[in-house]
Amino acid sequence: MHKKRVQEQGKDVKDVGKYYLGLDGGSTYLKAALLKDGKVVSTLVLPTGIDNSGTAKKIVAALCKKYEINRSDIGYIMATGYSRKILDVADDDISEITAHAYGVRVTAPKGYRPGMVVDIGGQDSKVIYLDANYNVKNFTMNDKCAAGTGKFMEVIAQILETTIDQVGPLSLESAAPCDINSTCVVFAQSEVISLVARKFDRRDILAGMHLSMAKRIIKMMKKSEKGGDILMTGGGALNTGIHRAFEEEMMRDVYVAKYPQFNGAVGAALIASERGGV
Amino acid sequence: MAEQVRSNRQRELFIKKSTRVAASYLNRAMALSEMPDAAKPFFGTLENTFVNLRGIPLCAENSAEKRKTIGTLCVMVPAELVYAAGALPVRLCSGSYTAYAIGDDYIPRDACPLVKAVMGFGKIKALPVFDQCSLLVAPVTCDCKKKLSGVIGSVKNTVPLHIPPLKKEDADTEVFLRELYRLIPILEKETGRQITPQSLAEGIRTVGEAQYEMSEFLKYRKHAPALLHGTQVMAIMNAYAYMPADVWAGQMHKLNLEMKARLSQEHFISRPNQPRILVTGSPISFPNIKIPLLIEEMGGILAADETCMGERGLYDPVSVIDTSFDGMMRALASRYTKPCTCPVFVDNSQRVYRIKQMIKEHRIQGVVYHVLRGCLVYDYEYQIMEDELGKLDIPIIRVESDYNEEDVEQLRIRIEAFIELIKLKEYAKQKEAISEHTSMHKENVQE
Repeated sequence: MHKKRVQEQGKDVKDVGKYYLGLDGGSTYLKAALLKDGKVVSTLVLPTGIDNSGTAKKIVAALCKKYEINRSDIGYIMATGYSRKILDVADDDISEITAHAYGVRVTAPKGYRPGMVVDIGGQDSKVIYLDANYNVKNFTMNDKCAAGTGKFMEVIAQILETTIDQVGPLSLESAAPCDINSTCVVFAQSEVISLVARKFDRRDILAGMHLSMAKRIIKMMKKSEKGGDILMTGGGALNTGIHRAFEEEMMRDVYVAKYPQFNGAVGAALIASERGGV
Repeated sequence: MAEQVRSNRQRELFIKKSTRVAASYLNRAMALSEMPDAAKPFFGTLENTFVNLRGIPLCAENSAEKRKTIGTLCVMVPAELVYAAGALPVRLCSGSYTAYAIGDDYIPRDACPLVKAVMGFGKIKALPVFDQCSLLVAPVTCDCKKKLSGVIGSVKNTVPLHIPPLKKEDADTEVFLRELYRLIPILEKETGRQITPQSLAEGIRTVGEAQYEMSEFLKYRKHAPALLHGTQVMAIMNAYAYMPADVWAGQMHKLNLEMKARLSQEHFISRPNQPRILVTGSPISFPNIKIPLLIEEMGGILAADETCMGERGLYDPVSVIDTSFDGMMRALASRYTKPCTCPVFVDNSQRVYRIKQMIKEHRIQGVVYHVLRGCLVYDYEYQIMEDELGKLDIPIIRVESDYNEEDVEQLRIRIEAFIELIKLKEYAKQKEAISEHTSMHKENVQE
């Protein structure tokens, strides 16, 4: 585990440098966001690979090169995501829940009133409840199961011989989504295979998959929660199909964050710029 | 013959695994910084019980007479009655992951892990404190315990004890009083000793001493910054289940002296900004102390617990007003139902009241609500707790868990984020206070 950078007494973190970097070491991708004056100036993503720490070093170097700054211009590096404790380049780390809740302060589109944040990641999905001042009130996460996560989408995309970026647009063309009842990835996989065998259109299968995922995540959400809007973050929010499925199932508008995939990294950078460690 | 060999082998492997798990949790709890020296005997008891697999010493100090031990479950079996019959009560509610795996074969899948672990020990016969008990008094509380009290009769001599589902009216206490009178001849037959007014008064005094030391201890536990880790307190409370009350009280007295010394030397184990957390919900029995451990390993302070293997069993003494035998029996019946905050009772507003009281007294900043899978009664009460604590602006998080270690990482992230949430909440409050202060200051300057 890396050492927490000790702040000198009375010295604001802001004095150390102008840039703040957030690293989000997810199960599938490592995301980085560079912040200056509370605004995102650059983002970068690399596949996590097996050497988390090495990938993190690479991404910091690449980002510095891309934005033409020195490593010393970065005041503080905050890590989040499941590999956050093993990224040597980081000064400190913070849980993904806090990071996502913070990220929304920067990534929420205009007109969004803080309420629920739905994050769809590679291996988990979570719902965070915010009060009017963007403070975390509560949160729920999916249990030890990949249903309702990016991994689920990836598995189905593979069977349907398409790629993850095409899954959304294809499903939007569907007029009659299939019913997919299994919530378990492995069972859903065999269900999809049988739908393929029965010559269902893959666009309908994909639309059905999105609805099934949305239903699964909505089960975690509190129906009684009033006030505020719903915002989608995480790599999953890049998928237009899942966004539409959410609106259909929730029967209300669902916002999508700016740089959804980088929301955690942005939050980590923001918290670093505000106060260093937690 | 082959069957016998196989079951011996299973027992051998069971012992290897269960002692290893118990030892590792003991070590983790003891590794939390600055454990008081006086806490060691309690850990010693847990080690003897679960690692060295020794039974409870049956003879009291300076006595050759061997006492019997009576197994109990839940918090409704009056220990006073068992002592009055000349026996030792032992709480058999178990947190063993290994016994849970054995019990899984005999108890339906959706039942809670605690009853599975109890059944597991009943079947495997590898825990001396369990096997020592000649009788098990099993209160009919939640659905899982109700059915357990039926099926465990196949492996252990068991008496089910009826618990009224209501506790508000005097008539409800009367029902329980009749049950306690019914229990008397059963205990007497088991031990061969009569329960007399004198022995009952002595029993009440024995348990009362432990309760007195507990009430003293709570004064120290309330202190902020903390004087010791709450996970260690959970272990100390768990040890009460396997120690004679007078022995426990004696050790507790020493612990209280050490706490007093720590307080006067301002020897604290927490920093001022460590969030003070209360844990409540389903039972936390050794070695299943993963939730308290996670809270404190992730930087929180477990400042209080409202659980049945923790404070609930001891914070409230029996108050005898009428010293006749019947008067004492009525005091017992009343003590073990009316103030009991177990959610098996239909109306349980006491629990909300008690938790609010603890939040105030222990200066709690957040509540971790523990739900064992299949534990419906506690899950039922989560909603009301969330509503009530929402009014007090105290964050609460529900964590569901089971008797295995597969979910530790998922629990860790939830608990870590919860601790961050409390810290950031405090930070926002401070910032607000500072900005209010500066704006006031500016106004003053302008004036």
